Amino acid sequence: MNNRLRVLRAERGWSQADLAGRLQVSRQTVNAIETGKYDPSLPLAFSIADVFGQRIEEIFDPNGGKPHG
Amino acid sequence: MSCESNRFSWRMIWWAIASALLTIVVAVLNRAGVIPPSLRAVAALAPVVIMVGFFVGMARYLRSIDEMQRLMHLEALLFQFAGTALLVMGFGALAKAGVVPNLPASEAMPYLWIVAFLLWGIGLALVRRRYQ
Repeated sequence: MNNRLRVLRAERGWSQADLAGRLQVSRQTVNAIETGKYDPSLPLAFSIADVFGQRIEEIFDPNGGKPHG
Repeated sequence: MSCESNRFSWRMIWWAIASALLTIVVAVLNRAGVIPPSLRAVAALAPVVIMVGFFVGMARYLRSIDEMQRLMHLEALLFQFAGTALLVMGFGALAKAGVVPNLPASEAMPYLWIVAFLLWGIGLALVRRRYQ
């Protein structure tokens, strides 16, 4: 699943450690989500959306970047 | 590796060292004939009881880490479980065939624990690489 985590984090000037602190997860977990190696659970996805003030579907793309339809 | 993970590793190592030291002390006292027969079972089980602390610490740590780290530990423990089971089954089959010596359980068990912990560490290292 593709996501805009890295872009959103860079826009705010946060490091992976900063975001990890806000989400109360490890920096390794933030890195794995950003690189698409780990898909977060629904509660964590909601926390991520909350931290960035956006909706889940604005951050995560379930189609993995493939064209819709 | 995070600070929390490092602290956990050291705490677990200290519990394991405490258990190993107690095993040696009990063996020395046993050999010297200091332990009365009525307390022999209690003395023999003391290092095992110490290991309860190890597992309580492990359970606390697993509850404190995030979901991805928990998944990593689950996969590492599966690696350890599978590796240990296959090793025990393989060694048992070879011992039955007379290829390797048939070790008594009292001698084989401590080595089994060492192998199990090593496999857990190897499993964790392999899983970490996948999520890096």
